[in-house]
Amino acid sequence: MSDGSDDSAGSDPADSFTQETGDDGPKISFYGGRGMSAFPIAFFILWAVAQTALWRISDTAGLIVGILVGLIVGMFFVRGDWKTYANTIFEGMTQPVAVTAIVAWIWAGMFAELLQDGGFVDGLVWLADVAGIGAALFPAITFVLAALFTTGIGTGYGATIAFVTLFFPAGILLGANPILLFGAILSGAIFGDNLAPVSDTTIVSAVTQDSDIGGVVASRFKYVIIAAVVAFVGYVFAGQFMGGLEIAGDAQEVLVAQSEPVGLVHLISMGVVIGTAVAGRHIVEAISWGIVFAAGFSLIFGLTSIGDIVMFNAPSDAPLAEPLEFLPVLTVVEDANAVGVGGSLINGAAGFFELAILVLLIIAAAQIMIRGGAFQAILDWSIENLATNVRNAELTMVGSAALINAVITINTAAEVAIGPYISKIGERFNLNGYRRANILDGQTAALGYIFPWSGGVLAGFTAMQTLPGEYEWFETGMLVTPIDVVPFVFQGWLLVAVFVVAALTGFGREYVIDRESEEVARI
Amino acid sequence: MSVFDKYFKGWHFRDSSPSLSTGDELSVFIAESNSNREGHAYIGDTHLIVEGAGPETVEKRVKVRVTEFDETSATGRGEFVEIVGESSYTG
Repeated sequence: MSDGSDDSAGSDPADSFTQETGDDGPKISFYGGRGMSAFPIAFFILWAVAQTALWRISDTAGLIVGILVGLIVGMFFVRGDWKTYANTIFEGMTQPVAVTAIVAWIWAGMFAELLQDGGFVDGLVWLADVAGIGAALFPAITFVLAALFTTGIGTGYGATIAFVTLFFPAGILLGANPILLFGAILSGAIFGDNLAPVSDTTIVSAVTQDSDIGGVVASRFKYVIIAAVVAFVGYVFAGQFMGGLEIAGDAQEVLVAQSEPVGLVHLISMGVVIGTAVAGRHIVEAISWGIVFAAGFSLIFGLTSIGDIVMFNAPSDAPLAEPLEFLPVLTVVEDANAVGVGGSLINGAAGFFELAILVLLIIAAAQIMIRGGAFQAILDWSIENLATNVRNAELTMVGSAALINAVITINTAAEVAIGPYISKIGERFNLNGYRRANILDGQTAALGYIFPWSGGVLAGFTAMQTLPGEYEWFETGMLVTPIDVVPFVFQGWLLVAVFVVAALTGFGREYVIDRESEEVARI
Repeated sequence: MSVFDKYFKGWHFRDSSPSLSTGDELSVFIAESNSNREGHAYIGDTHLIVEGAGPETVEKRVKVRVTEFDETSATGRGEFVEIVGESSYTG
């Protein structure tokens, strides 16, 4: 802890929130040199690799403990007054980059949950069924529908789980190849995670590079669509040669039983969010409209009830619980553990609570690294040795973003950690915010869904393991081993390749003098 | 710019050393500055020396009036006008 010598100015909580700018000298001195200021982040990365890659525990709460321990241990290396270190944690946590991302996530989480609970996937299954998609074409169509779905709900993990649960068994029944099918689902998740205005990684990429989300989405369309067209052709082609499994039973009947065309109405809810965000409206406003439309459609078409959206589960001894039980949003529960507020809105928002805390702490650790000088040291070394011209600078940005995302399972966390580095290297060569955000998020989205320890693959594999329990015909031998899917996540590999080519050739490159990204306040 | 236009902006191969025109007023990030109060801005591999841009302008976005530019070496000089913006990270 600090030496405890609080002076009157330092004891004012407001002082902790003062943003100090313009002073480039290291503010915190560390035993072992300025490199030691990277300790909290380095410790966190090691913790994250051990927890998520070596031990396969994809648990955000565990990562929070990792960064907390890193921040605490890092303090013991501080030379002199520890108060500056402690204040820097506050300074980092109150950076607009963190809070704007968190606000947008919570809104996006509510919207995504409404779409999922409103039967959107069922609608997509119905569409595939009536279009008479065969086994060979099923992976390619799955890719398109997963891409569409993820672009609407913004969460690639959520989309992967939904598609593995509903689409994967449907495809296997139709005779599609399971590995190719899983690869296509992951590819669709990458597409949407990268392009959706409500995606957490899109939001982080825009905010960390000081750009509006609508502009970022529109400007990255070119990279995403090039990779997607080639990936689609790849799935059509591979679908012809990679056979499926023999399964007894009537596949068509199972498909029809699962499908519900009315869920397709949420294409409009999705269009409302994308349209308003790209038109430059504030992301909170855009998603709020999406929430209103999604809830409205779900209620009108009977896809959900008010109680599914918000439900108060009150104990029977509460004073006005039983008299008001007729209300559609109130249920009296006997089990004390069931007391609480439930429904799509809380479930959607709550999904981001842990991530929000984690991100605040990562930004705090990054600020320690900036104030302690390690960030500048790494930057100086990179500029001296790697980013010697604009082409190498862009390749360095692609490589560093890809590397950190390949080792840290939760790609949003990796993106937040590397964001300041990408910003500084890019700004040095006056690359505009859109270009920087696109390079950053291309690698973040892609590498988050390729390797066996990637969050997206873990989410999908976890969901897949529930299938043998759900369907009688589904045998454990039909599960896809995560390592097998690595070469078949076409969108991921192609997206990285597109950015390498773009860095080498200047495709899509924009300088600050060509176009300035709009102010971040309008995200 | 309409929504539609935003999607089709940037479908080009941009030069690594973009040309500047004398008299242009640009807004650029200053990468470094020396003791003569000359700031250095790199727009891709184009090097612009900004007179009057001291250490306080480093990693800030400044308005610059271009006074000379050599196409062959992709280098030029300009005058500092004012600071117009910050870096994404102010640390």
